[in-house]
Amino acid sequence: MPLGLRFRKPKNELEQGGRPPARPAERASEMTRKCPDCGKEIPLGVLWEGGDTCPCGHCFPMRVRRRVAFLTDPDSFTELFGALESRDFLGFPGYAKKLRNLRESTGEREAVLCGEARIEGHACALFVMDPYFLMGSMGTVVGEKIARLFEYAAQKRLPVVGCAVSGGARMQEGILSLMQMAKTSAAVKRHGDGGNFYLALLTDPTMGGVTASFAMQGDIILAEPGATVGFAGARVVEQTVRKKPPADFQKAEVLLAHGFADAIVPRAGQRRVVASLLAIHERRRPDEKGL
Amino acid sequence: MFSKLLIANRGEVAVRIIRACKEMGIATVAVYSAADRDCLHVALADQCVCIGEAEAAGSYLDAGRIVSAALVTGAGAVHPGYGFLSESADFAALCRKHGLAFVGPSEEAITLMGDKSEARRFMQRSGVPVAPGTDILRDADEAAGAAEAIGYPVLVKARAGGGGRGIRLVRTPEELEGAFFTASQEARAAFGDGAVYLEKFVSPARHVEVQILADEAGHVVCLGERECSIQKNHQKLIEESPSPAVSAALRAKLTETAAQAAKAAGYVGAGTVEFLLDAKQNFYFMEMNVRLQVEHAVTEFVTGIDLVKWQIRVAAGVPLDFTQADVRLTGSSIECRINAAAAGTVSMLHVPGGPWVRFDSALFTGCRVPPYYDALLGKLVVRAGTREEAGRKLQAALCELVIDGVPSNIDEQLAVLTDPRFCRGEYDTDFFREDE
Repeated sequence: MPLGLRFRKPKNELEQGGRPPARPAERASEMTRKCPDCGKEIPLGVLWEGGDTCPCGHCFPMRVRRRVAFLTDPDSFTELFGALESRDFLGFPGYAKKLRNLRESTGEREAVLCGEARIEGHACALFVMDPYFLMGSMGTVVGEKIARLFEYAAQKRLPVVGCAVSGGARMQEGILSLMQMAKTSAAVKRHGDGGNFYLALLTDPTMGGVTASFAMQGDIILAEPGATVGFAGARVVEQTVRKKPPADFQKAEVLLAHGFADAIVPRAGQRRVVASLLAIHERRRPDEKGL
Repeated sequence: MFSKLLIANRGEVAVRIIRACKEMGIATVAVYSAADRDCLHVALADQCVCIGEAEAAGSYLDAGRIVSAALVTGAGAVHPGYGFLSESADFAALCRKHGLAFVGPSEEAITLMGDKSEARRFMQRSGVPVAPGTDILRDADEAAGAAEAIGYPVLVKARAGGGGRGIRLVRTPEELEGAFFTASQEARAAFGDGAVYLEKFVSPARHVEVQILADEAGHVVCLGERECSIQKNHQKLIEESPSPAVSAALRAKLTETAAQAAKAAGYVGAGTVEFLLDAKQNFYFMEMNVRLQVEHAVTEFVTGIDLVKWQIRVAAGVPLDFTQADVRLTGSSIECRINAAAAGTVSMLHVPGGPWVRFDSALFTGCRVPPYYDALLGKLVVRAGTREEAGRKLQAALCELVIDGVPSNIDEQLAVLTDPRFCRGEYDTDFFREDE
């Protein structure tokens, strides 16, 4: 742990007297970020080096390209289906503008990034969902890109590594978003029927239609520490059953205890764990090495 | 009062200022170079900003970057510490231009005292004794004539000089021309200003300086003197307060003179008037340092006044809540500077403790001492009822100080403390020269 985080902070009140400050001191969001778990201001440099993880273990949302760089070998990623982008075909109020703004601010066209990459030398198809693009919600294009990726991987006999983060189906695309659950599930099934491996990594939060489809279909399901994974949100459940859910409701740790996840892997170890799982899988491919 | 303050420095002085701020409830912003990422001042501050590469010219001496860091973080004031930009009038002006309070005197005062020749003239006008000397000299011929009039030995001094650079001692007329050119050239290279003047070389002499503190309302108090004659290569090694060479009558005279000079200059903040004291108790103005001194801790020990906190308060417009009559100098305090002889990593650190033992330092076990900046590792300061007791205490504390991994001057300092001349209090700035 960096030395600075080991010091406690005195609560001395500001000495009085003299001139008032020329202007109020601004909160310097550029320099530090407050951890919602431990409440400390963490320097951005520390966060960056720790893979957007607070020294206390809290995982901050990770931008897509950063996660790709974090997980894969340098310069091994080739993007696929990058030209696809959502349209506002229902005329949903404000949707078109929202999409335009998000494309500007994130530099991404959609809430999922697909491609082919190598992780410690092991080739795989990869999708990473974007927590900064409508909270990774699944609309027609997200569904289409993921389905296409599984089809592409099935054809090329590649394993799929998928990093899920999502608020669920995209409400601005209505019933067509829900359709994506069936479509992606079918693509995952066909990929699996071909004897191919699918590894899902659930990050905070993975909810709704994404949980109810491809996110939970992994042959192996890993989760990040403290990730919320569920279908309906805690508040909706509370209002429906009229009981307060426990504090660890829908947490990755509970999923692990009840067999819905296979392991919880902190970010620092993810690359190594994913690579070793890919290595094990490579040896077991039925069409190779006489198995 | 400022709610947030940026410290434009590193090392022990940055830590000293951050600690004062923590007591005062002021949020702190540290700036650091690429070599100082893991330093204590960065770890202690509430926020930190990297301002460039390891070389000071691209980081701690870059006024623009420091002011930008203050503006980005919303700091209301900048404390320059000592060294680096602490005596830069341009830096003070840049801070004020951007609405930042500069913890130090006005640009005008810094400019006046930064020009050694101008400061000399100003002090002379204000009734402060100065050593016989000249104004700026045109050439070596003019210098030769003036030197005859003053009487050898003389010092050739650069107007912009400091830290021992741009100074040459001339004992005979033959040496003068060479000394004139080397001093001038050295000053031109180091400070971009080659103007020099002559001053009578007072020897043997003691280096005695008076600490002053002044507020915006024009109140000036003197916080006693410090004796800084133990010097090697113009670098102070041991400082003490009170000076064993200053009697109560002389102290009263020094106090009055320094206060008078500060008042005449309209000085605000903490400052130090340096004097040379000859064997006959005559004193001559040498220069005025417009910043916190490294050795301020000995004054804090004998007066009980926190100089850094008062610097910040004065910069925020708080008037001094005590007068000269309230200042009582009690006991005796000695400081010795612990310097690194080379860069390294501290593998083990043991700091002495006990009553009235203070170690101002930015060291911790595992910290790296980079080769880029000054050699000061820390200052071991003690206070006791008498000078004799303070000497014993400092020796005991110094023996307990362990810094593994970085070679230091602890043994050399112990040798000074046990030297009979030091024990008797009878020493001058030639302390090391006689040794050689």
